[in-house]
Amino acid sequence: MNITDPGGRSDPERPVAYIRFDGWLGHVENAFNLVAAFAILSLMLLAVVQVVGRLAFNMPVPGFIDITEQAMAIFAFAGVAYCQRVGGHIRMEIVLGTLRGRTLYICELLGVILIAFTVALLIWGSWYHFDRSWTIGDSTMDIRLPTWPSKLVVPVALGVLLLRLVLQAYGYARLIADPAREPLAVPVIEKVEEVAKHEIEEVFGDEHIAGDDK
Amino acid sequence: MTPFEVGLMMTGVLLLLVILGVRVAFAAAFTGLVGLIVHFSMQMGFERGFFVALKMAGTIPHSKSVTYALSVLPTFILIGFLAFYAGFTQQLFEAAKRWLGWLPGGMAVGTVFATAGFAAVSGASVATAAVFARVAIPEMLQAGYSKRLSAAVVAAGGTLASLIPPSAILVIYAILVEQSVGKLLIAGFLPGVFSAFIYVGIIVGISAWRGDAPPVRGFSWGQRFESLPGTLPIIAVVAIIFCAFFFGLATPTEAGSLGAFVVLMVAIVKGMRLKQLGQALHETAKLTVMIFTLIWGVLLYVRFLGFAGLPDAFEEFIVSLEFSPWIVMVCILLCYAVLGMFMDAIGMLILTLPVVYPAVMALNGGETVSAADSAFGMSGEACAIWFGILVVKMAELCLITPPIGLNCFVVSGVRPDIPVQEVFRGCVPFFIADVLTIAGLLAFPSIITILPELMG
Amino acid sequence: ADVTWNVSLWGKRRAFTEHVEKLAEEVSAKTDGKFELNLHYGEALSKSRENLDGISFGAFEMAQICASYHPDKNPSLTVLELPFLGVEDLSEETKVSMKLYEHPAVKEDLGRWNAMALMPSPMPQYNFAGKGEAPEAISDFEGMRVRALGGIGQLMEAVGAVPTSVTASETYQAIDSGTVRAASFAPHAHLSFKVVEVADWWTKNLNPGTVQCPVVVNIDAYEALPDDFKAALDSSVQPALAHYMATYDKVYEKWWPELEKRDVTQVEFSEQELAAFSEKAGPIHKAWVEEQSANGLPAQEILDMVKSTIAE
Ligand code: NA
Ligand code: NA
Repeated sequence: MNITDPGGRSDPERPVAYIRFDGWLGHVENAFNLVAAFAILSLMLLAVVQVVGRLAFNMPVPGFIDITEQAMAIFAFAGVAYCQRVGGHIRMEIVLGTLRGRTLYICELLGVILIAFTVALLIWGSWYHFDRSWTIGDSTMDIRLPTWPSKLVVPVALGVLLLRLVLQAYGYARLIADPAREPLAVPVIEKVEEVAKHEIEEVFGDEHIAGDDK
Repeated sequence: MTPFEVGLMMTGVLLLLVILGVRVAFAAAFTGLVGLIVHFSMQMGFERGFFVALKMAGTIPHSKSVTYALSVLPTFILIGFLAFYAGFTQQLFEAAKRWLGWLPGGMAVGTVFATAGFAAVSGASVATAAVFARVAIPEMLQAGYSKRLSAAVVAAGGTLASLIPPSAILVIYAILVEQSVGKLLIAGFLPGVFSAFIYVGIIVGISAWRGDAPPVRGFSWGQRFESLPGTLPIIAVVAIIFCAFFFGLATPTEAGSLGAFVVLMVAIVKGMRLKQLGQALHETAKLTVMIFTLIWGVLLYVRFLGFAGLPDAFEEFIVSLEFSPWIVMVCILLCYAVLGMFMDAIGMLILTLPVVYPAVMALNGGETVSAADSAFGMSGEACAIWFGILVVKMAELCLITPPIGLNCFVVSGVRPDIPVQEVFRGCVPFFIADVLTIAGLLAFPSIITILPELMG
Repeated sequence: ADVTWNVSLWGKRRAFTEHVEKLAEEVSAKTDGKFELNLHYGEALSKSRENLDGISFGAFEMAQICASYHPDKNPSLTVLELPFLGVEDLSEETKVSMKLYEHPAVKEDLGRWNAMALMPSPMPQYNFAGKGEAPEAISDFEGMRVRALGGIGQLMEAVGAVPTSVTASETYQAIDSGTVRAASFAPHAHLSFKVVEVADWWTKNLNPGTVQCPVVVNIDAYEALPDDFKAALDSSVQPALAHYMATYDKVYEKWWPELEKRDVTQVEFSEQELAAFSEKAGPIHKAWVEEQSANGLPAQEILDMVKSTIAE
C-alpha cells in the first residue's frame, strides 16, 4: 500500500509507530467517551424513572442521589483524554495565535509538558484517594454504596490523558525539529472563523457540510 | 514568605499561564498543586510537605466533581444538543412570524421571539445562533430585509439562551457560589424576556424610521392558530422546567432529565437517526467533561487559596476601597466585559468567581445582611442572584462584540455570503440595547429578584 | 504562636461549631497564645465527607466529622446512630459518646485514619417535621415519603414509610411541593433549612435517634504536642462542651416560639405507640451487630456498653 505523504517526504521518514499509536489511543479515547455518553443517557433515564416512580407509584428509586453521585465520576472524567485530543479544553489564544513555526511549537510543547506534569502528580494523588477507600473503607451516606469504584475512575481516566499528552509532546517535538513537517495528531490553533465552522458542524452534523458541496 | 504572599505569587503565575494559552483547567490545577506543595513544604519541609500536598490535591478531582447538584449539567447540555434534531425551530419561527409579522420589522421581531422560545429548551447561545441563521435569515432576505439586520438579529437573539432557563452557565454559577440552582434559573427568566423586549423595541424603532424592513401581513386568524400546535413540544418542555423549579415539583436534575427525555422522544418521532443520537451524545459528553475538568481544576486552585487565606484578603481589599459600592460594581462588570472579549463565558466565570464573588458579597454587607443594611438595597441572597444574572449578561454581550464575538462568526459561517464585519456592524444597535438592559437591571434589580423571592 | 493547628469545618459558624470556637479560645488563653487553633469554615480545607482523609495524611490537625456521612469509614461510631437507643438529652449524649471513644475497638477504628476522637458534637434527637395531616400512630407513616438517612431511614422503612433521596438544602422545596411529606433533623437544622416554615406538625417525643459527629485530631500532631499544650487541649474539652450545651439551649429559645408562631402541631405519641416504634428498632440493632461482627468489630460488646451507659 502506498500512502502519499502530505508533507512530501519519502516513506521511511513517516513516523509510522507514532501514527499507529495515535490511532490505537484514539480508539481507547472514543470508547471512554462513549461510556461517558451512555452514563449521561442512563442518568437521564434513571431520573425519569425516579420522578415517575415517585409521583405515580410512590416508589422512588432508593438512594437515587447516591447512585447519581457515584455514576457522575464516569461522565466527569472518562472523556477527558478525548476532549484533550480534539482540543476541547478551553484556553485563551490571543498570544499563541500571533506565534508561528518553531516558536509556536515550543510554546505548545511547554504547555503540554506542564499539563503532563500536573496530570502525572494527580494520577498519583488520586490513586492514594482511591487506595484509602479500598483498603480502609468508605461508602455513601444513604444506601452505603462503596465509593472505591468511582474513585478508581479518576486515576484511570487521567492515565489515558497522560498517554495522550505524551503523544502530543512527541508530536510537537518532531515539529520543533523540523517546523516544515505536517502537524500530525496535535490540535492546531484555529482562527475564530474555523472555530465558528466547527460550532456549525456540531449543530448540523455532516449534513450541512454535504449540503455545501452540492 | 507568608502563606498570603505565596497565594498572591501563585495567582500571578496562574494569570500568566492563562494568558500564554495553557488550557485553563490545567493551568489552574497546576497552580493549585504547586501552590499546595510550596505551602506545605514551608510548614513541614519538602519531603513531608510534597506528599501531603499530593494527597490533598488527589482528593479534589473526585470530591468536587461527584456532587449531586452538578448532575443537572449534562442533562441541560443534552437538551440543547437534541433540540436541533427535534425540529422546534422551524415551527417556532413560523408561529412567531404569523403572530407578530405585522409589526414594523416584523420578521426580525418574529426571529427574536423564536430565539427566545428556543432559548427555553437550549442553554447554548452559539448553537442557537447557528440554527436560526439557517431558518430565519433566508426568509428575512426574501422579504427584502438587509443582510446586516437579518444576520445581526439572529446573532443577538442567540444570546438569550443563557438567561432564559435552562442554562448551564447559570447552574455553574449557582453551584460555585452555593446558591439555589432553581432560584438562579428562575431569576434568569424575566431578564431574558426583558432583553428580548428591548431588542424588539429597537427593531421596531429602527424599521419604522428607515422603512427598509417591511411588515409581513395577510395571515388570517385561522393560519395563526394553525401554527400553534407545532410549538407544543416546546411549551411542554418550558412547562416542565418552569413548574419543576418554581413549584419545586422535581429537583433540577430530575427536571433536566424529564426535559431531555421529552425532547428526545420528539426528536425520535421527527425521524432522528441513531447516528445523530450518537453524535449528540458524544458532543454532550465532550462538553460535560470540559466543564467538569474546568470546575475541579479551578477548585484545586481555590483549595490552595483557602490554605493561603487569599479570598479573605481580596475581600478586605475590595471593601476597603474608598469608592461608592456602585462604582466598584460597575468596574467589576466592565472587567468582565473586557475579559469576555478574549475568553469563553464559562471559563471566565469559573476562573474568577471564587475570588470575585466573596468580594461582591462583602461589598453588599455580607452574606446574611438584610436589605435595609446593605449597600445595594438587597439581602445577601438577592445580591448573589442579581450579580449572577448581571455577570452572565455581560458574558453574553461579548458574543456579539469584536474581536471574537463568536455568535457573529457563526452566523457569518452559516451564511458565507454575509461577511462577519457586516454582522458586527448590524449588531451595534443590539449592543446598545444590551447596555440599556444592563443599566435597567442595575437600576431595577427587582426584575431579577422578584420571581426567586416569590419562591420563598 | 509556637504551634498552630488548622481546623477543617463545613458550613458557617453556628451552634453546632460553638464548642470548637470555645476550645480555640481556651487553648489560646491557657498557653498565652503559644498554641493556636485556626478555624476554617465553609469546607475551605476539605469537603466534609473527606475530613477523615485530610486528617489521615496530616493536611490539617483537627476536624469535625459526622459518622453518617461515611458509615464505612468509621463503622464503630455508627452504633450511636442506631434508632431508639433512648438517649434523653445532650449531656447524656455527651457522656455515652466520651465513653465510646475510650473503647479500644473505636480507637483502633479511627486509628486507621491516624485520628482520635477528642469530643462529641452532641445532637438532639432527629424528630420529624412534616406537612399535611399529623401522624398519631405508627400506622400513619405507612406509605409516607420521608427524608431520613442511616438508622432512622431504616426505622422508617420498617414502619412502612418510603425513604426518599433529597439533599438537605432541597428539603424545604421538597416538602412544600410534596416530593416528601416529612424530614428528620435536629431543631437547629429544621430552622436553618426552613423546614419549620412549611411544616404543619413536629414529632415532639418520637425521639427516633440522632447522628454522631465527633471532633477528631490527627494522632501524630497530638503526640507531638509539648506536655503543657497537650494538657491545655485536654483540659479545654469540658469547658468547650459546657459552652456548646449552653449555646444549644438558646436554639430552643428560638425553636419553641417558632413552633407557636407558625402554629405547628406538636405530636406526642402515646407510650403504646412509642413501644411499637421501638420494637421495630430491635431487628435493626441486631442487623447492625451481625454486620459489624462480620467486619471484625466486637459489635455486641460495644452495643451493650452503650446501652448500659445510657441505662446508668
Ligand atoms: Na436557555
Ligand atoms: Na466571548
